[in-house]
Amino acid sequence: MAQESDPIVRIRELKKDRVNFVLENVDLSVANSFRRVMMADIPTVAIDMVEVESNTTVLPDEFIAHRLGMVPLVSANCDEAMRYTRDCTYNNTMDITSNHLEFGPLDDGMDEDGDELSKRPDNFGMPVGKNEPGVPPVLICKIRKGQELKLRCVAKKGIAKEHAKWSPCAAMGFEYDPHNRLRHTTYWYERDIKAEWPLSENAKEEPPVRDDEVFDYMAKPNKFYMDVETDGSLGPQEVVIKGLQELQAKLANLILGMKEPEPSAEEDTFQAPPQPNGTSAPACRRSCCCCMGRVDKHMEYKSRRWTTSWMGRVAGPARAGGSGGWGSPAAGAGGAAWGSPSPAGGTAAGWGDNAAGWKT
Amino acid sequence: MNAPPRYELYVLEEEECPVEVIEDTKIPNAATIKVVKQDHTLGNLIRAQLLSMPQILFAGYKVPHPLQPYFLIKIQTDGTITPTAILEQACTKLIGTMVTLENKFKREFSLKDAGGAVADDPYGTGAAGGSEWAQGKDYLDF
Repeated sequence: MAQESDPIVRIRELKKDRVNFVLENVDLSVANSFRRVMMADIPTVAIDMVEVESNTTVLPDEFIAHRLGMVPLVSANCDEAMRYTRDCTYNNTMDITSNHLEFGPLDDGMDEDGDELSKRPDNFGMPVGKNEPGVPPVLICKIRKGQELKLRCVAKKGIAKEHAKWSPCAAMGFEYDPHNRLRHTTYWYERDIKAEWPLSENAKEEPPVRDDEVFDYMAKPNKFYMDVETDGSLGPQEVVIKGLQELQAKLANLILGMKEPEPSAEEDTFQAPPQPNGTSAPACRRSCCCCMGRVDKHMEYKSRRWTTSWMGRVAGPARAGGSGGWGSPAAGAGGAAWGSPSPAGGTAAGWGDNAAGWKT
Repeated sequence: MNAPPRYELYVLEEEECPVEVIEDTKIPNAATIKVVKQDHTLGNLIRAQLLSMPQILFAGYKVPHPLQPYFLIKIQTDGTITPTAILEQACTKLIGTMVTLENKFKREFSLKDAGGAVADDPYGTGAAGGSEWAQGKDYLDF
């Protein structure tokens, strides 16, 4: 892919929600990775948790929850303006005392140290096109007289690798070699291939293949026609630029990962026992069921960052009604986790990852 | 209920090493490199870049199983450079390409903005949908 010349970018059309451009002098793999990263790796905001208080409509709860998740929300500057739920540092337990009885629920939960709020545009998190003239709203549900729908939605930041609702792209056009000069594809036809297969608009950009032309099997695609259409949660400019930055970050992390020495064993107070196959497994740094037998040591390691209540659950009977831990990373063991990054919780109830409520 | 969190597919676990180099014992100047929490996006990109470099005898990648979020990349060089070193070189080159692309895009976007390319009807749909809604009609009426 030794590029003879610099890549060329030519934007053919730029609208509020789409950009059409031609990419030249790059390798197919670069163009394709660029496409993939724009579709699946750019963070946006979408409704992820729905607590249904009452629903007497004809649509079931999960149906509505799913529909709500699909609604595009304005996510401009989402990279900096919000954290992933898993990165939120609710790392302390909170004592609920009689003094709290007067208070309403502690809302928001935004970290004191975060400056994310200041980076948000005014309409951040609002449905795209809300109160904009000429943009029809998204229909979620129809209700008749006497029916009721009351719910609470929690929107979270995420990427489309987790769920497609977080993709900023509605459609992505990607074409190269419109005349099929490179024969990367084989067209099925009845009598006349040229009559039966209409050429795309992009075919005007390249000379047609002459009948007497010799097939150059070494030729490589060089010109890529891309059309990025967003759902409005991000602008097309942001999608393109963030996509390229994401690719850079991926590559930089790989370089960094190769340079980094192996994590030193001294740091750990807990070392996983060697695996039967002889390879030394990385020390288990997760609170997971495999460590149950060595929970004391594990806790020692863990307690530097987390104050959890599940030691009690392992060592003895649970206290105070199943020990609700604020932001506990407790795994498997269950327990109510409020906004916890818990991997695989049990039967939790509350607002955490595994809480009751519909994951959309 | 016991499903692992979905972000485990692309977020490194705490202190998990993103790259693991396995030297090949039977082939000279060869190594298999395991890159975790990455997929074809990076795998194919790096493989193509490596193949374009003259020191490379072999480069290939695979994602052994779609449910396991890692890929392996096998590299054999001609001996003038180690596989890890050339992988690093390839990544640096690719970052360079991305940076130039980013700059070109930024330049093009600023030119388009100055030219007032974002028209009055930015979505290109016309106001038809909106006016219908304003009159209390809905999908059933269309």
